[in-house]
Amino acid sequence: MNKTILLIEDKPTLLDTLKSLLELNHYKVIVASNGAEGMEQAKLNRPDLVISDIYMPVLNGYELLELLKKDDMLRNIPVIMLTAKTEIDEIDLAMQKGADGYVTKPFVFKNLHAIIKKFLH
Amino acid sequence: MIQSLEKERSLLEMKTHFISMASHEFKTPLTAISSTMELLQTKLQMDNLLDQFYTHNISKISSEIFKLNTMLDEILTLSTIVSNNIEVRKQAVEIERVIADIKYQYFSERKDDRVLNLKVSGTPQPIYADRNQLSKIFTNLVSNAFKYSSSNPVVKVHYQKTRVVIKVTDDGLGIPEKDMPYLFQSFFRGSNVDAIEGTGLGLSIVKDFVERNNGNIFVESKENKGTTFTIIFKYPDHIPAA
Repeated sequence: MNKTILLIEDKPTLLDTLKSLLELNHYKVIVASNGAEGMEQAKLNRPDLVISDIYMPVLNGYELLELLKKDDMLRNIPVIMLTAKTEIDEIDLAMQKGADGYVTKPFVFKNLHAIIKKFLH
Repeated sequence: MIQSLEKERSLLEMKTHFISMASHEFKTPLTAISSTMELLQTKLQMDNLLDQFYTHNISKISSEIFKLNTMLDEILTLSTIVSNNIEVRKQAVEIERVIADIKYQYFSERKDDRVLNLKVSGTPQPIYADRNQLSKIFTNLVSNAFKYSSSNPVVKVHYQKTRVVIKVTDDGLGIPEKDMPYLFQSFFRGSNVDAIEGTGLGLSIVKDFVERNNGNIFVESKENKGTTFTIIFKYPDHIPAA
């Protein structure tokens, strides 16, 4: 059965392209355009993996991460963060808050896919 | 006089802030462009339409996107240095962890399957330095080692009694002797690297960051044989509590 990925990104073009790339690689993809929508979708669909941008309106990626890791039903879902900031401190912060992986923008899909496979296969 | 100096400083801060914002904001459309290229490539491949012409030209677009991204990062870093707006946030840092992090972040899963070899000797001891700046130093040096050679670069971390010595080595193009005095100047590019694109900012940033963190940098190079950058940081007498 295809694994389900919840993809959270506020920029529609990037969201659409990443969704298509993941679908071409045989994943079922659910999308959300901010952390709050992402949290709703996570509760509703219990995805196998979450990929989330950090800087988003309404609820950002760090806030989402905290909510996911506090929720008994969702805390074991691996979360990969996407960030435009490359400073190690920023990446450390994401890992401290419970992220399981991170990818800096712009990225090569092969690299993102390698991390996804580490958690899903 | 004071008023005009303050105005000047405020303008400089605004400029740096603008460059920082623009640099980060540019990365999302760059990511969208590169991902769309990959989407097209994947679809063409699935439909058995991906011939050499498409592969070659898609790879050119992708390579230019990543060059633009590097330029953005370097312009951002240099603008913070020039405006003297850069903060050095020193803390206890394990140098081999910084290098292992950048190896994972930037130099794994390369398209050409080359790898970064990290060799550690001696008993690990922390230094007192800014982690982000250390990360930038080794990212720039390792990027250059990949860019100007065709084999696997090596980073050797040697913990000695009073200091740690880090060597970044490649066996690539090397640096012509006549270029050595200008190597760390902003916008200077070696006379033998015309065919390889770059901004000429990377090494000036490296030198600035090494010195801000009380380190020393040396370079040994032979044209067509390769280059070794050596960086030395002394261990602190004591590390202030965080």
